[in-house]
Amino acid sequence: MGVVVLALAAGFLTYSLSVGGVHMKRGNYEIAAKFGEAGSLAPGAAVSVAGVKVGTVSEITLEPKTFLAVAKLSIDPTVKLPSDSTAKITSDGILGGAHVSIAPGAAMDDIKPGGQIENTQGAVDLFGLIGSVIRPQGGGSDAAAPAAAPAPAASQPAVSY
Amino acid sequence: MTAGEAARKVATNPVRVLGRSTLGAVRMVGSVGVFAVRGVTAALTPPWFFGQLMRQFVAIGFFSLPVVGLTAIFTGAALALNIFTGGGRFNAEQVMPQIVALGITRELGPVLASLMLAGRVSAAIAAEIGAMRATEQIDAMRTLSTDPFRYLVGPRLLAGVLMMPLLAAVADTIGIAGGWLVATRVLDFSSAVYIRNTLDFLQGWDIGSGLVKAAVFGFIVALMGCYHGYNAKGGARGVGRATTHAVVSSAILIFASDYLLTTLFTHAAQ
Repeated sequence: MGVVVLALAAGFLTYSLSVGGVHMKRGNYEIAAKFGEAGSLAPGAAVSVAGVKVGTVSEITLEPKTFLAVAKLSIDPTVKLPSDSTAKITSDGILGGAHVSIAPGAAMDDIKPGGQIENTQGAVDLFGLIGSVIRPQGGGSDAAAPAAAPAPAASQPAVSY
Repeated sequence: MTAGEAARKVATNPVRVLGRSTLGAVRMVGSVGVFAVRGVTAALTPPWFFGQLMRQFVAIGFFSLPVVGLTAIFTGAALALNIFTGGGRFNAEQVMPQIVALGITRELGPVLASLMLAGRVSAAIAAEIGAMRATEQIDAMRTLSTDPFRYLVGPRLLAGVLMMPLLAAVADTIGIAGGWLVATRVLDFSSAVYIRNTLDFLQGWDIGSGLVKAAVFGFIVALMGCYHGYNAKGGARGVGRATTHAVVSSAILIFASDYLLTTLFTHAAQ
């Protein structure tokens, strides 16, 4: 019986590690992406293309001169991103953490290891957005929707799976 | 006034009752403390009885695996269902994998595994050593100049401290597997997402703190079994009483030290 329990535990562990991809593949290449607002993005967050995980955020620092958040993305070497790809910080739902989703571009040349994604879109400040919809004159961001259609406009950025 | 009346008066005098029970409690704590120090000294200094040690590793560790595994898998499954229901009240069913993982590794894995061990191992140790005490085998051992602390208590304490974290690690894994089974088979979670959420969320210290707790609980379980068995009095009935005391006291001490350790870890983390 003890052997059965051990075998079950070992089996589940192996299965999880193979699915979860904890074995970080060596040879991942790093690219940088600058964001105006990193929001709740943290090191270890997933980087995905079309919803498929292709890497992780390895570190986030502040560039002192421009006050931009610089995220280092560690990307699977089999994934080559066109140079005009767009990196966007999206949230995994209201209570979930943030991750970086990359929309591939159409350029012929790829981003080289150590390169940078030029087109970025920072995290959406959900509460600022809601506030600007509730009180449109209260000086919100320019992303605020017109007061005529408050409900769908407020719910759209939140549902960005 | 006859002697019987006098004795009854003494027994019912509230001040005397209070004093006697306080002294009894203090004496108990003291004797457990002395016993623990003697046991730990015997466990950590040579000569060691390796045959005894191996036998205890197998008895405490390996043969406890089935009961620990069964407890963990059902707990994980029930926890998953409960958190799914609770999370649904504010549309947060999706955080279920994380909460199951946290609850199992930090709290339920170590505590439930060691409670099962308290029932299985603590009672067995108390009965074994208590029977040896009742049949005067321990005195015979002394006569043959074998220290019972070295031969009986030390190996059991070592086995408790070393085996319990391993059992807790198995309980963690199986418990999360139980939650995963229910989530994927009953609640339509995606298997890969569940596992990735769990792995991304768990930090080393979530598991580490649980294993440190488990080592302490393992020590408590072995110590209580040895102490009550070693101090068993009065033949077969004394052995029965010793097993009961061993199980009850190790369960209470596990819960109390669990709270203390959790407080300590929470403050240390801040």
